[in-house]
Amino acid sequence: MLEMRGIHKRFGAVVALNDASLSVNEGEILALAGSNGSGKSTMIKVLAGLVAPNSGKIFFDGKEVAIHSGTDSVKEGIATAFQDLSLIPTMSVQDNILLGCEPKKNGFVDEKKARKIVLELLEKFHIDCDPDDYVQTLMPSTQSMLEVAKAVYRKPKILLLDEVTASLHYDEIETLFGIMRELKAEGVSMIYVTHRMNEIFQICDTITIMRSSNTVISGKVSDFSLDDIVYYMTGARPEHSDTVAEKAEDFADRELVVDVKDLAIAPKVKDISMKAYKGEIVGIGGLEGQGQSEVIRAILGAVKPEGGSIDYLGKKTKFKAPADGVKAGIGFISGERNVEAMFPIRPISENIFAGNSAKNRMFKFLTKKEVRKFSQDAVDKYNIKIGKLKDPASSLSGGNQQKLVVARWIAMKPNLLLLDDPTKGVDIHSRQEIHDIIRECAANGMTVIISASDTEELMNISERIYVFYEGKVAAMLAGPEKTQERLVSAMMGINENKKEELAE
Amino acid sequence: MSNKSTMEFQSNKDFFSRVNLFVQTHTALMAVIIAAILFAATIIINPRSLNLVAIGNIVLLTVILSIPAAGQTLVLIGGGMDFGVGAVMSATAILTTYTMRGENGHFLPVLLISIAIGVVVGFVNGFCSVKIGLPAMIVTMAIANIVTRLQYILTQGVLSGTASPLLASTVKFKIGGVIPHVAVYALIIWPLVFYILNKSRFGKQLYLVGNNPTAAKLTGIKVDKVRIISYIFSGVLAAFAGIIGAAYMSTARCQIFDGYAYDSLIATIIGGTTFAGGSGSYAGSIAGSLVMVLLSNLLTSLNLASPIRNVLNAVILVLLLMLYNRGKAVRQ
Repeated sequence: MLEMRGIHKRFGAVVALNDASLSVNEGEILALAGSNGSGKSTMIKVLAGLVAPNSGKIFFDGKEVAIHSGTDSVKEGIATAFQDLSLIPTMSVQDNILLGCEPKKNGFVDEKKARKIVLELLEKFHIDCDPDDYVQTLMPSTQSMLEVAKAVYRKPKILLLDEVTASLHYDEIETLFGIMRELKAEGVSMIYVTHRMNEIFQICDTITIMRSSNTVISGKVSDFSLDDIVYYMTGARPEHSDTVAEKAEDFADRELVVDVKDLAIAPKVKDISMKAYKGEIVGIGGLEGQGQSEVIRAILGAVKPEGGSIDYLGKKTKFKAPADGVKAGIGFISGERNVEAMFPIRPISENIFAGNSAKNRMFKFLTKKEVRKFSQDAVDKYNIKIGKLKDPASSLSGGNQQKLVVARWIAMKPNLLLLDDPTKGVDIHSRQEIHDIIRECAANGMTVIISASDTEELMNISERIYVFYEGKVAAMLAGPEKTQERLVSAMMGINENKKEELAE
Repeated sequence: MSNKSTMEFQSNKDFFSRVNLFVQTHTALMAVIIAAILFAATIIINPRSLNLVAIGNIVLLTVILSIPAAGQTLVLIGGGMDFGVGAVMSATAILTTYTMRGENGHFLPVLLISIAIGVVVGFVNGFCSVKIGLPAMIVTMAIANIVTRLQYILTQGVLSGTASPLLASTVKFKIGGVIPHVAVYALIIWPLVFYILNKSRFGKQLYLVGNNPTAAKLTGIKVDKVRIISYIFSGVLAAFAGIIGAAYMSTARCQIFDGYAYDSLIATIIGGTTFAGGSGSYAGSIAGSLVMVLLSNLLTSLNLASPIRNVLNAVILVLLLMLYNRGKAVRQ
């Protein structure tokens, strides 16, 4: 019914899709699987008309169609429930569901009919809310269900579901699957993106697996085992072992720098405990959004934990703001550099000096020379390619911007350096340089906690890896247990799934 | 990048875009050029306006405007806006004339009370807009309204008192008949503001906060504190400007300097500071103040009726602002 062939998409130097393809038949549920950054979300966005591919063809019932915009996509009978919700927080539930396709009578919105439709939908999806409630007042899981209800209301021929179950509860997922089966019986085709392996086996008929921007394999779900899927997603066979758990540590002679105990931060972090010793590089692994960012920010003082405690250098932290963390000798490097690290219109020199300017007394005399020397040293030492120091930071390439942010903190000689996916969208060469800098610092006694979405990167740089899954530590890998295979299976929560299956 | 932008510059034959690009990369210089053009036009229209008294007056008015403009610059760079500087100026001007009643020897108490008023108003403005998160434009206007109403309660709307002769002489007396004494205040205020913006960590933090508050916070800067301090500076500088204004006018009625709220804002924008925050310079704001004074001077020399003059003044300012804020031309 729907077929995508030879889709290519580049974002600048980053290749998001390279000769990707998929096809789905009438009344079929296709699972689109792949690890972080494999391109599955981009595929969905191409179909939804949000991303225009550089090349490639889309066929609908054998006829080629062009999808240039969201409107084109809707015209072809495609409806999408997005991972990052497309609901408008300041509008009511009813207005959100009907938005753009309100039932009309004499050119006006038929309020009676509209209310009836919405109430029926809410009933069908077991959503417990009033049609007049504002979306922003609802729980994240309710919002996700609404997102699906909105897509279903459009009576699509093809329904795209992009990680809608990520924030859903068990019973909500059951409801959703019931509705999906109904739609399937009506002949609706669905493309279902999920990180949860067991869901694929529960609901999907066929599967297309993507790895590093490519389609690796397609086929019937019944022809695949769990291990096969993981293998095609990661290129590594998962290794099963019951010993993937925190083992007794042999760090008695090393100073404990960070000790996180039973940390909880709604909604993502449920129960995280981890330790980091002096001069150690500790990795945090996991699929996207398993609570990694929140834990790192909580250590810095940017997020307030709701439960548990964080000890830093043997004392319980009471950071009210990142300023307190920075004062205590903590540095933070974010991979979301545009939002969280760069000052694009300010000069390169000020950008490097930023962490330093946050310290010391506010009105102390500061010479231009001091700023220039500090930044020039960092530029030379870390080999950042710049024009002039007074050029705006936006003039740098992505990799050099990230090196700038790294240099900003390293030059401050922090006691503890936190990195949240620091090499996201950074070219391979700069990535290598950043790794070298981090290793050198750790060798000199700096403690490093780094989260990374790239498993290979994580394997390379960290001594020990805590793997997060659904807000909990699924495994702590160190020494001989630190293998790509174990990392992958822990990331997928496979051990946990096995347990669940046994329980059933 | 500089190469790239020159290339883009050359390939772009459209005259207006080129002017626009120049304006956006040399904002402070542009303000000086506009000032020169306005002054030249005034002399051509009325050659008699080229005299020492007139020039002395231009200096004096520019200095007075440059003081609230300093506060405005600080607040705008930090990503805020202060519509309350005019009301604070009026309040301290009234305080000055009421307290001094034409006698010398009250300067210190006047100065201290004025600064206190500036600190309080600035803090309230900052607290409401930064901590509570109300829109800066609305909050500062509302607080300004309170300050204005208090003036009426205090004075019952009646004019009373004058600035002390000594204070008045510091503004009106001219060295060699040309340079007004008020230049001495400029010698204190201008370097002070320059120091705050360019030679202190606070200045660096202020620019970073204005450009990207999220990044600033995660870098360890106390974003709220920095922003509130910028409002306090604005209040104090306006309070000081009110004292000098009282010296210049001798007497002060309620709301006498309210117009300075808009004038200081426009002078600052003309000087290259943006509404978006994170960029701008005090040198630009001083040049912008000069533009404002010279423009009103030019229109006065045209011998037009006052309402028409005001309309023309406003139209020219709108045109200037359009030239300045037509979006970023250079980078993506």
